[in-house]
Amino acid sequence: MNRTKQYIRLRVNGEEREVAVSPNRTLLEVLREDLLLFGTKEACDDGACGVCTVLVDGKPMRSCLLLAVRMEGKEITTIEGIAQAGALHPIQQAFIDQGAIQCGFCTPGMILTAKALLDEKPEPSTYEIRRAISGNLCRCTGYNKIVDAIGSVAALAKGGR
Amino acid sequence: MRLPFFEYHEPASIDQAVRIILEHGGACRVLAGGTELLPLMKFGLARPSNLVSLAKIGGLSGISSKDGTLRIGAMTTLTELAANEAVRQQFTALHEAVESVAAPPIRNGATVAGNLCQNSRCLFYNQSDIWRKERPPCFKAGGDVCLAVPGGKKCFSVYQGDLAPALIALGGRITLRKEGSSRSAPCEALFSGQALKPIALDDEFVTEILLDTLPAGTHSAYRRLSVRSAIDYPLVSAAACLSFGRDGKIEAARVLIGAAGPAPLQARETADMLLGKKPHEIDLREVSQAAGRGAQMVDNLVLSGSYRRKMIPVVARRAIEAAIQEALGKERSR
Repeated sequence: MNRTKQYIRLRVNGEEREVAVSPNRTLLEVLREDLLLFGTKEACDDGACGVCTVLVDGKPMRSCLLLAVRMEGKEITTIEGIAQAGALHPIQQAFIDQGAIQCGFCTPGMILTAKALLDEKPEPSTYEIRRAISGNLCRCTGYNKIVDAIGSVAALAKGGR
Repeated sequence: MRLPFFEYHEPASIDQAVRIILEHGGACRVLAGGTELLPLMKFGLARPSNLVSLAKIGGLSGISSKDGTLRIGAMTTLTELAANEAVRQQFTALHEAVESVAAPPIRNGATVAGNLCQNSRCLFYNQSDIWRKERPPCFKAGGDVCLAVPGGKKCFSVYQGDLAPALIALGGRITLRKEGSSRSAPCEALFSGQALKPIALDDEFVTEILLDTLPAGTHSAYRRLSVRSAIDYPLVSAAACLSFGRDGKIEAARVLIGAAGPAPLQARETADMLLGKKPHEIDLREVSQAAGRGAQMVDNLVLSGSYRRKMIPVVARRAIEAAIQEALGKERSR
């Protein structure tokens, strides 16, 4: 069997990257093992839990269910890429302020899912927040503080106008 | 879990894709969004040596309308389908069905045809390699026992797609392509009725889904039962599509039950009982009780077969009621 690797070019957190990948490798594996971006977590590995969520062209997707060879030319945002000039992203800050992090394992996926929601809809209702994060499992917080944290950023956006 | 090695093909046209599939035969699988196939491969339940991606083929995604027919490309993502205004306005059951599938990050990748052509599932089959090694292989895994029904003589795995019941209720059609030809068929033609191989396609694949404009006064709804609203597959679902005449009587009715066997189940008796009735004349209890006949429910999903059987009339009633409510609401707002 032909086991040649393919070169793919993609933008990860605004930076052009080129990696050689076998077709059977997932974006999650490439992010963690080749690009050493360990912020994207690996848990169920079959699409159920949401911890591996990254933004692909701004949309939250499961990196464990994406073949890396399909990411040619895509813009990938991981949790490492959302802080600006050393300052935490408002959603990251809100998660800290609201106590929405316990073990922290679901946090990168939660924050990126929330970012995609708030980018599309700066003032979502509580229902919309709950629906947006419905595919991200958290076994510690009971979700309320996560919903509060995302809501507080939405409220900030409202107050800022 | 690592994906086993495979060769990856990214053809630029349907004809090219068809040629690759013919060349590799059964060792080849078509890759759409990958949200079903890749987990199956990780679990060792699918072992294709070649994957043919449809991602680079132009014209397979997107929703358009022409001559009163809505065309949904096979590679349209579930997110795009959920956001489509024409679908929301006219094909409520399909809109509700797609909104109920998994969670937003999955819907961003999953495709319409991929959802339609998904394999049937069972608590004793959809497990990791290690889990399955402790037991004899079941019918679905190529063995000769059923692990869900001791002594069972056949496979009882369940088709749990959300879109198919809604599309069949709405009279949807699919376009199938193979080398040198394409044909149109009603959505129900996709299903073999056999749990071992629920999708009746061999050398063809779905390129588009077509929905004709429904007659005025047609209303539809989709309801489902699942343990959690996100991620889970439906454990029972129902789609209802009712056409009301000018006199307020139901002139055409289709009720489909999902996750009740290897294919969506037509609740013909229920549909017949609705015909010729005005909303207030319908005995919802009696009508929905008839919906579960012919369903095949055994203990192979997270809720027991007997419970799921009892839930068929409940879910069917919710769908029929919602379609009637929509009809009454729209009448009032006219």
